Amino acid sequence: MTGRELRDRILPHLVIWPPILISCAYVLVFSAWTVWVSFTRSTLMPEYSWAGWRNYTTMLATRNWQIAYSNLFIYGICFVVFTMAMGLLLAVLIDQRIRGENVYRTIFLYPLAVSFVVTGTVWGWLLNPTIGIQKLMHDWGWTSFRFEWLIDRDKAIYTIVIAGVWQASGFAMALLLAGLRSVDADLLKAAQIDGAGPLRTYFRVIFPTIGPIFVAVLVMLLQFAIKTYDLVVALTAGGPGLASTLPTVVVYDFMFQRGELAKGSAAAVMLLGSLAFVLVPYGLYRYWKRRQGGAHA
Amino acid sequence: MKSIRVGRRAVLGSAVASLTLPRELRAQGTVKPRVTVISQWSSGSSGAAMAALGKTFEAQGGVWEHNPVPGFTTDMMNKLRAQIIAGDPPAVSQLKGPEIAAWSKIAPVVDLDAQVKAAGYEAVVPVELAKLSKPAGHWVALPIQAYRINTLFVSKKAADAISMTKLPTTWAEFNAVAEKMKAAGITPIANGGIKWDDGMKWEIALCGISLEAYRKALMELDAKALNGPEVLAAFKQFRKFGEWSDPGVAAQDYTTFVSRFMKGEMGMLLMGDWAAGIYKRGGFQLSDYMVGPAPADDGKIAFDLNSDEFMFWQKPQKEFQEGQKLLASIVMSKELGPLFCQITGSIPIRTDTDLSAPGFNDQQRKASHAMAEAAKSGRMVLSLAHNMAQTNQITAAMIDVLTEFVHDNRISAEEGQKRLANAVDNVR
Repeated sequence: MTGRELRDRILPHLVIWPPILISCAYVLVFSAWTVWVSFTRSTLMPEYSWAGWRNYTTMLATRNWQIAYSNLFIYGICFVVFTMAMGLLLAVLIDQRIRGENVYRTIFLYPLAVSFVVTGTVWGWLLNPTIGIQKLMHDWGWTSFRFEWLIDRDKAIYTIVIAGVWQASGFAMALLLAGLRSVDADLLKAAQIDGAGPLRTYFRVIFPTIGPIFVAVLVMLLQFAIKTYDLVVALTAGGPGLASTLPTVVVYDFMFQRGELAKGSAAAVMLLGSLAFVLVPYGLYRYWKRRQGGAHA
Repeated sequence: MKSIRVGRRAVLGSAVASLTLPRELRAQGTVKPRVTVISQWSSGSSGAAMAALGKTFEAQGGVWEHNPVPGFTTDMMNKLRAQIIAGDPPAVSQLKGPEIAAWSKIAPVVDLDAQVKAAGYEAVVPVELAKLSKPAGHWVALPIQAYRINTLFVSKKAADAISMTKLPTTWAEFNAVAEKMKAAGITPIANGGIKWDDGMKWEIALCGISLEAYRKALMELDAKALNGPEVLAAFKQFRKFGEWSDPGVAAQDYTTFVSRFMKGEMGMLLMGDWAAGIYKRGGFQLSDYMVGPAPADDGKIAFDLNSDEFMFWQKPQKEFQEGQKLLASIVMSKELGPLFCQITGSIPIRTDTDLSAPGFNDQQRKASHAMAEAAKSGRMVLSLAHNMAQTNQITAAMIDVLTEFVHDNRISAEEGQKRLANAVDNVR
C-alpha cells in the first residue's frame, strides 16, 4: 500500500470520528450527569447523596411544573399545526411561479434569522394593550377594539403561539416548497392529462407524494416547541403570574435562580423524556419506512 | 531551517520568562495586594461606583480586577458557582442576605473577625446586617450599601392634579389618595408587573400593616403569623394595588412607566429608593416628585432593608490575602459612604457617616436617618423580594404565589393566604 493510499483511507476516519466522539461524549456524559444529579440532594452545589425519586415527585407536585406542562401541550399543538398550515399556504402560493419569487422567499424566511429575544420583545410591544396594536386602533378611532391576550392569564400562552408561528412559518415554507418542487414533472403532467384541476392536483397528487417531508417538518417543529425558552422570557416573562410559563423556564428557574440543582435536573430529565416522546416514534417511523422500501425493492 | 526554529523557540522562551518573572519576584519580595472581584454591577451608577472603588483600591497600592456579570444577582451566582467548582473562587464576590450563610458552607471563606474588631466596625452597623454577615459567629462578609424598600414616590404633577400636598401616612390615607387619582383619570400605581416587583409590593403592604407580623411571617416563617389577620390584610391591600395598576402591567418593568409617571399620567410608585437614581439619570429633579417612607398604620418608623455585601473567599496566594485585607479596610472605613453611595444614591452602611456633604441628597439623608433610628429602636426588617429574609428557594416559592395572586382577580385574599402558607410548608 502506498503512503497516499494509506492516507486516503485513514483521513476520512480521522476527520469523522473525533467530532462524533466528542459530541457523543458531550451529550451523553452531561445527560448522564444530569440524570445522576436529579437523584441526589444537591442544592447550591452538586453533591452525591442519594435522594431517590423525591425530586421528581416534588417537581410533579409543584404548580409551576403543572402549569408549564399543560402550557407546553397547548403551545406545542397550536404552534405545530398553525406553523405547518401557514408554511404550506405560503409554499403553495409561491409555487405559482409568481414574479419576484426570491424576494418573497427571503421575506418569509427572514424571521427565522431574527433572534427569539428580538421577536419576543417586538411582539411584546405590539400585543401590549396600552402601547401596541390596541392603542393604535383606539387612536384611529376604533375605541371598541379589544386585543388583550397578553395580559389575560388564560390567553397569554396563545400570544407565544402567534410569535412562534410568525417566526417559524418561513422555515416550514422553505422545506415544503423544496418538497413541492421535487415532485416528478411526469406525475403532474399525468394529472393534467387526466383533467385534474390545481386544487385536486395538490391534494391528491402532490401532498401525498411529499408525505415524508411533512413528517420531517413536524418533528423539527415539535422539538422547536419543546425547546422554546427565550421567546417566553422576552415576550411574557412567564406571566401574567405564572400563566405562560414553559418547562424550559421552570428548569432554568429551579437550577439557576433558586439554587435547586437536583430539582432543576429532575425537571430537565423529564423534559428530555418529552423530547424522546417525539424522536423515538419518528425513529421507528423511519425504520418502518426503510423496511417497507426494502420489501418493495 | 533548523536554526530558524531554534531562534523561534528562544524568542518564545524569553517571552515566557519575561511574563513569569515579575510575578515570581513579587511572590518572593514585597507582595502587591491584589483582588479579583465579581459582581452584577457592570454599568450605570453601580458600575461607576465599582470603578470608583477600584480607583481608590489602586491608589492605595493594590491591583484591582473587576469581572462584572450583568443581570440579576443569581446570574452572578452562576459564575461564582462555576469558579468554586473549578477550585478558583474570586477573592471577593458580591452576595447578600441568607445566601451568605448558605454559600459560606460550600467553600472556605476568610475570617474577618480580627480586622472588624480592630476597626470597631460592629458598633456602627445595624445589628441585622451584622447577623447576616457572620453566619457562624465569624465575620465573612462586609455590607457595602443599603436601600430602603418601603419607599413611596408620588408624581408631582399627579399630586397637583388632586391638590395633594403631603404623602399619605397610613394605608387608609393611601387608598383615599389612589381613589381620588383614579377619579381624576390618573392610573394610581406606577409599579411594574414582574415577579420581584409583585413580591415587593406585597411586602411593603405587610410592612406598613404590622412590622411584627412581617418579622414573624416572613423572617421566621411562623405558621400562625402566616395564617394571621395581618397577612390577610396585606393580600387585600395587594389586590387593590393590582386593580390600580396599568392594565398592561404584566411583564413590564417599572422603568417603562417613568415617563408616564413624570407626566402625571400615573400617580404613585412603591419601590426601593434606587428609583431616585433612575429618575436622576433620566434627567428629573427632586422637584418632579415627592418621596418618603411608605405608609405605616401604627405611625411608627419602619425600615424594610435591602443591602449588598462583599463576601471574602479564601485564597492561598499571599497577594490575594493582602488584597482582601486592603479592600476590607476600605469597605469598613468612613470614606466608603461618600465614595460609593454618592454615586449609586444608596444609604451608607456606617450609621456614623456624615451625610452633610453636597454629594448626598436630602432623600439619602432622610433615609439614612430613618435607618439609624430603626436600627436603634428595633424597627428594622429584611426584604423578602430582594432575598434578604430567606434563601432563594423559599423566596421564589412565595413570590410565585404572590405574582399569580395579583394577576388573577379570581383568587380571593383568603385563598391567596392559604396558598402562601402551603408554599412555605412545601419548601420549609
